[in-house]
Amino acid sequence: MAYSEKVIDHYNHPRNVGSMDKASADVGTGLVGAPECGDVMKLQIKVNPQTNVIEDAKFKTFGCGSAIASSSLATEWVKGKTVDEALEIKNTEIVKELALPPVKIHCSVLAEDAIRAAIGDWKKKQNVAKPAEMQAQ
Amino acid sequence: MRTRHFCSACGKVQPAVPVDYFTFFGFPRKLDLDTSVLEKEFYALSRRLHPDVFAQAETQERAWSLEQSSMLNDAYRTLKDPIKRTEYLLRLEGVELEEQSKQATEKARATGELKKQAVPPDLLEEVFELNLHLEELRMQKKAGEDDPAMLEEIGKAKLSLEEKYDALFSELKSEWKKWDKAVDSGTEEDRRKIRDTMVDVLNRRNYIRNLVRDVNEAME
Repeated sequence: MAYSEKVIDHYNHPRNVGSMDKASADVGTGLVGAPECGDVMKLQIKVNPQTNVIEDAKFKTFGCGSAIASSSLATEWVKGKTVDEALEIKNTEIVKELALPPVKIHCSVLAEDAIRAAIGDWKKKQNVAKPAEMQAQ
Repeated sequence: MRTRHFCSACGKVQPAVPVDYFTFFGFPRKLDLDTSVLEKEFYALSRRLHPDVFAQAETQERAWSLEQSSMLNDAYRTLKDPIKRTEYLLRLEGVELEEQSKQATEKARATGELKKQAVPPDLLEEVFELNLHLEELRMQKKAGEDDPAMLEEIGKAKLSLEEKYDALFSELKSEWKKWDKAVDSGTEEDRRKIRDTMVDVLNRRNYIRNLVRDVNEAME
């Protein structure tokens, strides 16, 4: 099956490949996998604690072209959004943007899962960090 | 009850009825299948249904024997293989792996709760780390470099994966026994739980299978 031009573009020039410090308090990490094809995707966000804006995003995906393109696009989309805005991103929007065929929809699902997992991890850190700060005062 | 492959009155071959492969052989929908029984049934039926037997028969009968033979072959190939058999049964039971994943994402979106990943986090970590190593290995190879320590590490990881792979098959077999019992005397809730566990086991096994394949390719 032929990939769309946008998928090929993201595949050849993936945006924001890399990693951030998992232990950092303002970094959220999402590691997800698609059991259907064995793909594994890591997406990380760096959130400004004052504004809740996602200032940076990185990803690393082992999988097919559609999975790489979906996660590459996801990092582009979350950057500059607040955490709540990023949670609004739906897999169907990724499908539309990349013109993914039905057999590759699970790649977009994976990318949405990765965003949610990263934000979930970040939120967990915020809840844990707050009482600690109060104790320190 | 087995489907009728032949007319009980005249003994003539019958058109293939669209039934599941278990029913085709007259087996219950159970998983701990004695493959020697399956094989015996297969050879017995295949002798009687083989299109050669019907070479002189009328066109309709020839066509039906061909239909029945091809269904017999598909049924045998599916049920003989332990993994294919399990996946087939899960499909019969209405389990759609991809659909389940999509629905879980939609639920997470609606409730704001985190989706439970089908593959456990520690295995995901392991898969991710090993993939990183493999990528490095491929790059070193391209550059004509050799890193024995890295190769050794990947070799060790591969062994550990193969052990896991075998352990998962044992786990699957013990789920078969639970399933077969639940078919006879369990509730729908019991069966649902066992189905979910089998899906989990198969997912993890697929992951590991792909990874071992990638390791072998990278080390060639």
